[in-house]
Amino acid sequence: MVAAISRKRFLTGWTAFIILFFLFFVILPTIYILSYAFTEWGSIEALLEDQGRMDLIWGAIGASFQIAGIVTVIDIVTGLPMAWMLVRKDFRGKNLLDTLIDMPLAVPTAALGFSSAMFFAITDESLQAPSFALGTIGSPYLLIILLHVVFSYPYMVRSLSAILVQIDQTYETAGRTLGASPLTAARTITLPLFRAGLVTGIILCFARSLSETGGTMIALATMANARGFATGPTLIGEWKDALDSQPDLAAPLAFVSILLILLSLALLVVIKLVVMRVHLPMGRIWPRPERLLSRGVFPKVKDGLAVLFLVVFVLVPSFFIFTYVGSVEPTAFDWAPFIRSLLYSFLIAGVVTGIDIALGVPLALYIAKNRSGRLAGALDVLVNVPLIVPTAALGYSLGVFWASQEIVPTHDVLLIVLAHVAFTYPLVVRNVAGAVEEVDPAYEETARTLGARPVQAFRRVLYPMVKSSILAGAIMAFTRSLGETGATQAVVANAQTAPVYIVDLINLETAAGYYSAGLACIMLIVISFLFMLALRYVTNRRAR
Amino acid sequence: MPSVRLIGLRKAFGGIKAADGLDLEVRNGEYLCLLGPTGAGKTTALRMIAGLVSPDEGKVLFNGEDVTNTPVEERKAALLPQTYSLFPQLTVEENITFGLDIRGADDRLKEQVLISMLDLVRLSGRSTAFPRELSGGMQQRTALARALASGADMLLLDEPLRALDARLRISLRTELRSLVKSLRMTTIHVTHDQDEALVMADRVAIIREGRIIQVGTPKEVWDRPATPFVANFLGQSNFFIGEVLQSSPCTLLRTPDGTVLKGRSSDLIPGTQAVMGVKIGSTELSKERPGYLQAKVERILFEGRNLHMDMMTGGGQRLSAKLPSWKKGRITVGDTVGIYWEEEKGTVFSMPANGLESELKVE
Repeated sequence: MVAAISRKRFLTGWTAFIILFFLFFVILPTIYILSYAFTEWGSIEALLEDQGRMDLIWGAIGASFQIAGIVTVIDIVTGLPMAWMLVRKDFRGKNLLDTLIDMPLAVPTAALGFSSAMFFAITDESLQAPSFALGTIGSPYLLIILLHVVFSYPYMVRSLSAILVQIDQTYETAGRTLGASPLTAARTITLPLFRAGLVTGIILCFARSLSETGGTMIALATMANARGFATGPTLIGEWKDALDSQPDLAAPLAFVSILLILLSLALLVVIKLVVMRVHLPMGRIWPRPERLLSRGVFPKVKDGLAVLFLVVFVLVPSFFIFTYVGSVEPTAFDWAPFIRSLLYSFLIAGVVTGIDIALGVPLALYIAKNRSGRLAGALDVLVNVPLIVPTAALGYSLGVFWASQEIVPTHDVLLIVLAHVAFTYPLVVRNVAGAVEEVDPAYEETARTLGARPVQAFRRVLYPMVKSSILAGAIMAFTRSLGETGATQAVVANAQTAPVYIVDLINLETAAGYYSAGLACIMLIVISFLFMLALRYVTNRRAR
Repeated sequence: MPSVRLIGLRKAFGGIKAADGLDLEVRNGEYLCLLGPTGAGKTTALRMIAGLVSPDEGKVLFNGEDVTNTPVEERKAALLPQTYSLFPQLTVEENITFGLDIRGADDRLKEQVLISMLDLVRLSGRSTAFPRELSGGMQQRTALARALASGADMLLLDEPLRALDARLRISLRTELRSLVKSLRMTTIHVTHDQDEALVMADRVAIIREGRIIQVGTPKEVWDRPATPFVANFLGQSNFFIGEVLQSSPCTLLRTPDGTVLKGRSSDLIPGTQAVMGVKIGSTELSKERPGYLQAKVERILFEGRNLHMDMMTGGGQRLSAKLPSWKKGRITVGDTVGIYWEEEKGTVFSMPANGLESELKVE
């Protein structure tokens, strides 16, 4: 009896600790910068007067949102036929295609930025880009759109096909037997059932594009004459870098971060409302043209174009860097600093993943098991916040938060770890909470009636069932931390993680610098690729 | 083996009262079936006994000892859920020894218990199979063995036969009962299937809207239902409303159109309004004998073993009857028949407070 009560108290205390950790170490630092608007309103007012800076800020923020919007539309238009093909059609090489789609996910965005820019853009002479590179894009705006499509496309295809698999094909079959052509049936019956997948895809793509820093910075640095163009996150990176010499940048930095956070959160709400509520005029039918488009050469052309797009605009730019390193004159590469930065990155990613698991799994359990409760519901919504907020803004906000109080010493490594925990923690929570919800609570309850204490019931019964999701979440967190540039730079300007090191190499604008960056990128790709394989292995095993 | 007592249990989920002053006594070693319609609070009652749900009010006693706040794992009351919840990552053998493993039993004891359990549920050949490789009946037996091996002295069965196909369900009734009885476990079996409850139980407890309305042996609850609801829920009844003329040695009830009906003796006060219920299987029809009242046959359904007749009286009341199939052809649609019953088969109840219709409603 006494033991039972004390155990209950311990459990309550532990749950409270986990929730407090989440609120004070993840959510609060993420949005802390918003308070700047209240405490330092004077300096923001002064900034609003500063026409030159305001133009720069609005230009960058505007570019960020425009690019994210355009990228998302391109992803939907090109991703939908691809998702359809992967789910609904059977053809030779389907498995290969399926694997190819995921390949860009294995490339850290820093490497992706370098590789894509080299392929698409007009580059600096000293880079010596291979002669067969496209090398025609002169507009930084266009280049960044192309780059963001490269890394967000797989997310869109994956979210769309995940939902498509779940939609019962008998609806469409029924429509077909009632006389609808394949296109009409797909458009009027399946697509409207699709909204949930579309929302996930749109939010993922938008958030990724809005948040992307490292790849964008590298692409801009690689391109000749891209000076003056900035997106919100790159502006934060630049200014944070210069903050030590120009302390008056504090207000603009805070302002850009606030704008990015508020706008991205507002956008999350708007996308959810618009896509779920607005009734698209899907009901209209044009039998003749749709029948025509369903037959003969049209479907083949559509599929062919989808594959062509994948190859030219996604795969080739992702891996173009291999041809560069192969074709250019080798120069001496100083491995030592790169290896050091790589180890530094690994150390951070490892610690971050450890924290994510130790403190994320309990939160996921709490959310999944108290889904109907108000607190758990609120936590479930809050978990999305660090995912949608651009990591550069998150990093800056977090840096300011920890500098403003004296609980945690503001040591570089510690700050970077805390920043990375903030945006990777939700990945683990999401993955695990989703998996736990799938498990029938009767398993654990039965175990309890057979004499298992709550901890034993978790370890013996639930844990084996969700083990692979925990691992999958951990690998995602690890690779995200390993490839992150924006948050790292925003929290500690001169941190020497591997992606930041690559940015610095490219900024040298010398042949040796480019070559070294290329080699470093390839190493990073290979390492990430191994992790990706591990992830696929783990998730496939779960599917069985 | 413990006895169980539930005293005044109340539990509400949002606005829904799943237990509303629930009292029940289960005797040591008894096989009790908790029978009721969907949503009556059967599963909630079972979960409160197991400790998975804590009541808002009231007490749960095991052997007279208050266990209301005792953690689930210390109650020694093993639950067998509808879908069995066999742990998919463990083999039959590992599932069965789960409870012993948890308690850190030594290998010799585990081996002994395992062999006797496998033998008991006839799964000796399948001990290394995984649950998904077993048939429904085997899964059910594994789950039972797991519960028995855990050292529990009480079994809580939540619709244990529901997931099985019809024929197997019937053959497993006796098997399950005799297995549990041979171990003299106190067993509480939740079901909505009246046949299952009548065949398997030592006593049946009928639950409705979170309250127990009658507890008794299968024969008692069948022959002497406590309320019109019980009379109708077990085997369906015809009901007649009227005024009590006398209550002993038999009860006489006069319906509004002046017909006088006979039923078993009761303690109703002459002059009050009352309801008489007669099971449709006890309602006899005859073309020759006038009976208590006459009705016209509107429909005859052939159900294999039985014929189901729907009739309409001159006063516009619908009545039903079940006759053995061999009587087929003696009565046809359109015939006017006399309806009667033995006076022992008519049970007279005082008029339900909310009217007969709401009393009989099965939600």
